[in-house]
Amino acid sequence: MGRFVKIIIPAAILVILGVVIHKPYHRWAREHVNNLTATTDHPLKCASCHLYIQKSGIISKIVNAKYYSPFNLAVSPDGNYLYVIAEEGNALLVVNTERNRVIKEIEVGVHPHSVVLSRDGKTAYVSNQWSDNVSVIDLEKYVVTDTFGTGGGPAGLALGADGNSLYSANSFSSDLSIIDLTSGAERKRLFTGNNPTGVEISPEGNTVMVTSRRTLGLPYGDSLKCELTVVNDKRQRIAERMDIKQAYMMENIAFTPSGDLAIIPLIRPKNNVPTIQIERGWMMTNGIAIVEQKPGGRTIQLLLDEPNAYYADPFDIAITPDGKKAFVSHAGVDLISVIDLDALRKLISESDERMLAAYSNYLGTSSKIVLKRISTGANPKGMALSPDGKKLYVAEHLDDRIAIISTESLETIGKIPLGGPARITVARQGRRLLNNAGHTFQSQYSCYTCHPDTHEDGLVYNMASKDMGRNMTNTQSLRNIGDTPPYKWNGKNQSIYKQDGMRFSTVLTRNEAFSYKELDAISAYIMSGVPNPPNLLYNPKGELTEAQKRGKEIFERTHDNKGFEIPVINRCVTCHPAPYFTNKKMADVGTLAASDDSILFDTPHLNNIIFSPPYLHDGRAATLEEIWTIYGKTEQHGALNDLNKIELNELVEYLKSLRDEKYEPKVSKTLSASFRHKQ
Amino acid sequence: MIKRSLILNKIILIGLACTISVSCSRNASDDNKLILTEAPGNIQLPDYSSGVSWRNLPGARISSIDVQRPGSHKTLTGDFYSACFPEISYDGKFILFAGQQKENDPWQIWEMNLKTLKYRQVTSGPEECTDPVYLPGERIVFSRLTINDTVKSAQCLYTCNGDGSDLRQITFSPDDNLATTVLKDGRLLTVKQQLFPVQGGPMLAVMRPDGTKADKFYTGPGNSILLSRAHETDDGRIVFVESDSENQTKGRLVSISYNRPLHTRTDLSAGISGDFYNVLPLRPDKYLVSYRMFDSDRFALYEFNPEKRSLGQSVFNDPDYHILDIVRVKPYERPKKLPSEVDMQVKTGLLLCQDINFKDPFFPDNSAAIRKAVKIEVLGVDTTYGVVDVEKDGSFQLKVMADKPFRIRTLDKDGNVISGPCSWLWIRPNERRGCIGCHENPELAPENIVSLAIKKSPVIIPVHITDVKEKIVELE
Repeated sequence: MGRFVKIIIPAAILVILGVVIHKPYHRWAREHVNNLTATTDHPLKCASCHLYIQKSGIISKIVNAKYYSPFNLAVSPDGNYLYVIAEEGNALLVVNTERNRVIKEIEVGVHPHSVVLSRDGKTAYVSNQWSDNVSVIDLEKYVVTDTFGTGGGPAGLALGADGNSLYSANSFSSDLSIIDLTSGAERKRLFTGNNPTGVEISPEGNTVMVTSRRTLGLPYGDSLKCELTVVNDKRQRIAERMDIKQAYMMENIAFTPSGDLAIIPLIRPKNNVPTIQIERGWMMTNGIAIVEQKPGGRTIQLLLDEPNAYYADPFDIAITPDGKKAFVSHAGVDLISVIDLDALRKLISESDERMLAAYSNYLGTSSKIVLKRISTGANPKGMALSPDGKKLYVAEHLDDRIAIISTESLETIGKIPLGGPARITVARQGRRLLNNAGHTFQSQYSCYTCHPDTHEDGLVYNMASKDMGRNMTNTQSLRNIGDTPPYKWNGKNQSIYKQDGMRFSTVLTRNEAFSYKELDAISAYIMSGVPNPPNLLYNPKGELTEAQKRGKEIFERTHDNKGFEIPVINRCVTCHPAPYFTNKKMADVGTLAASDDSILFDTPHLNNIIFSPPYLHDGRAATLEEIWTIYGKTEQHGALNDLNKIELNELVEYLKSLRDEKYEPKVSKTLSASFRHKQ
Repeated sequence: MIKRSLILNKIILIGLACTISVSCSRNASDDNKLILTEAPGNIQLPDYSSGVSWRNLPGARISSIDVQRPGSHKTLTGDFYSACFPEISYDGKFILFAGQQKENDPWQIWEMNLKTLKYRQVTSGPEECTDPVYLPGERIVFSRLTINDTVKSAQCLYTCNGDGSDLRQITFSPDDNLATTVLKDGRLLTVKQQLFPVQGGPMLAVMRPDGTKADKFYTGPGNSILLSRAHETDDGRIVFVESDSENQTKGRLVSISYNRPLHTRTDLSAGISGDFYNVLPLRPDKYLVSYRMFDSDRFALYEFNPEKRSLGQSVFNDPDYHILDIVRVKPYERPKKLPSEVDMQVKTGLLLCQDINFKDPFFPDNSAAIRKAVKIEVLGVDTTYGVVDVEKDGSFQLKVMADKPFRIRTLDKDGNVISGPCSWLWIRPNERRGCIGCHENPELAPENIVSLAIKKSPVIIPVHITDVKEKIVELE
């Protein structure tokens, strides 16, 4: 009966809508669409808004599809098998490389990130980024035999030199778990840079390096720094914290087989420069950092871009066993750059310090070191080489395929379909668009660049929408924003359609605007709900800690500590009601700066707010505490000045616990499955 | 059963072969239908040193031809005294061209329907209009002789609707801008040559179709001169004809990479004697060129293999005419339609420079010998717009009257000129532009810094103006 109702009601709605858009109601439909899209000629396609953005229910099941989304991969020591992380499939896929087909799908935790194999190739370790654990898989029986707990958001994995330690870069808690593989216990946890994802051990086994994606929290205008954490493998202690300057999104790292160099793909953003042009690399540049592994070794940055062509979102790096070639996947432009490492070594050995410093912004370098750019399918992410180094396997993330590239001919010699749905849904098309830089001028950056994982990059930009040096803008997350219009800090865009429409192309992409079909697709992807991760760090089971409970009382209180009633407008919960913790209205919270236009600001949603520093519209608050201790001295941003330090901490603890409604225990079926592993 | 299967396989293979064959012959057929500009063979030799090659040709005609069908040659502009510079529409159905109906008429832009051969006039007026090109979005761009106080007498670029309405000037400096091409990225690539105060050598300049973000794209070696319109190929090259550095009367076939145009020059015609006039890329392994072996010959149509760098067979020639422009009659992909930040209700634009003392790190460092600049002087065509102190970090931000040409030179604390002036700049209404420094390497991206100049209000240029009442535009 329930299913019958679920079919009949949407069908009836569709029929009614069909009738309604016919004249004489056509005008009403036109006005409705005009209002949402801020245009006058967006096609009157009811399905765009009323079908493809459905988050759940039977319509959502019909119009959407479940993809595997291969993310990272590893090759067996004999080269006969590929082990592919299916990020959306929550599985490890076993691929036979002779038959080029999937032979086994092994369920793992939620949102797996990376896989690493034991030396004998009999065991796989899979990091489950949204389950805070690592699945241990017997590769002879294809079963999960154990689950090891980690820090928050385990991402990159590496085995220690002794083969008995597993390093897990924990992307949410910004630390490194060192796990004893015999006992499965976490032996140690070391602080790393911000949002670490890549971890690799040097060939001689002395050094483990951990890359970070987000920069260290610094005030706007300061030089960006992204930490490369160096760990001594034997002592399992931090050996050095290296600042990679003016860079971020260091997703992965690889050592040359001789161990002379460590190479890291990265992005060099221009957030301190007014966004006045894209030409000549004025928004983003993409390249690599080279860390010389010798006493007094230098750290050099080289761009992989060219003066009129940019290679957005470099992700992974693989180096051939002979140390001659490095492959860098560019997820934003569907290409692999092939780097001639001998040419690179020659270039850096012949350059003095002044020239090396200049290379970090020089768009002419890549023509000296890049041998070729190889096309791939949509959104190439992780890569792995066959043991003989002759084949490069590339995870085509949004194509559900693995590409096989000959490292000798540098041609694509095969594709391995993983068995995902053949049809590309509207939302999937939208996801491809969001991840592809083809819509910015010369492909300099994608939406993903500033919104990695559909979140935000932690940077403040000078958008220069009026004058340069005014209206600094803290990048906002795209997760779950479909239900929380308006958009932009100034709230001027009432819909995703308007947000990503013509003005978006004039100011941000500076390229031909999205077609209406593309706009429908990208809106469908964003509005159909990109969830936050489950916030296992601060609210793993929906049960608040005592401190969080006290913080919740403060958040919802109507009277202050002296018993006086707090005006409704000054109560936290007034502007930040559940489930998104925003009333979707504009407010003045006393944060207007001299460099801001006199405007109100959109009330941000607060789920997973702890993972979105810095805070406030211009990112002036590095932590949640600073919102009130430094920037909230009046009562405009909540009546909190009567709180003592402990009470403020409790309020902050509660804010840290906020998470998406879908993770409440009774609706979290998938997560409960992953928790079973943990137990 | 097996036999039946084999027969079926054969049928499929034959079908495939036929399909491929038809496809190939169709491609070949597409290559054969051409539109040409033909100029009388007895016209005076061009003055290459002027840098403008053969413009305003007397008695030229536009014709169509299928080079595989003898006798298919047809003159399309028989009603005109002279016509040239044909350019095909994206759907392959129309051409734009410049023409004179009578000998003393000013050159104007015309459009012709290739099916009906009916034509209509697009531009009108006493000014010479040439070199028309279709823009994405129902507009066209062309060169028009402009005479006034700011550009003196120069061929400026203009855009207008397809019917000639809504005429807008987009270049504003005393430079000639001719032989425009629309790149696949949506920008205009034009042969630019400074005319005032001294004549400069021609270069390829690039800009957005609204005239914003104008910039150098390519300059040739030594005394070489650009002789033809540039064409973008499907494999990321830009090809054009450029004179020999030593012998300006000889056109060489040159290729540069779109990705890195300033350092990828290749003389495709190295080792080939003779003279090239124009080029039309068809495929990565096949171009058509306008070429002659000896000065006494007429330019004729030849095949050229850019991969082997070899001249192929003669495709078409006329003993009485030079074959000059070559256009293929075939639909092609529309370039990107770029958005515009220009707002004609705004009177000014902004220019940010990060550091006037910036030195190109790839040139030898002789910093000890170079004095530090602390001021800039902004020069107009016949005047100075004023001297501006720069910030301690060498940055400045100017609010410049839009569509007025200016140059900048750097000064020391005593007002002595250190370097410059630079080449002519202009800022479109509401445009915002940035540069690294006054002698920047065009292949350098900016340092990610907050310049001191953007922490203050911009300096208005000319400096005697203290306030500008204008519409405030919020782009985002």
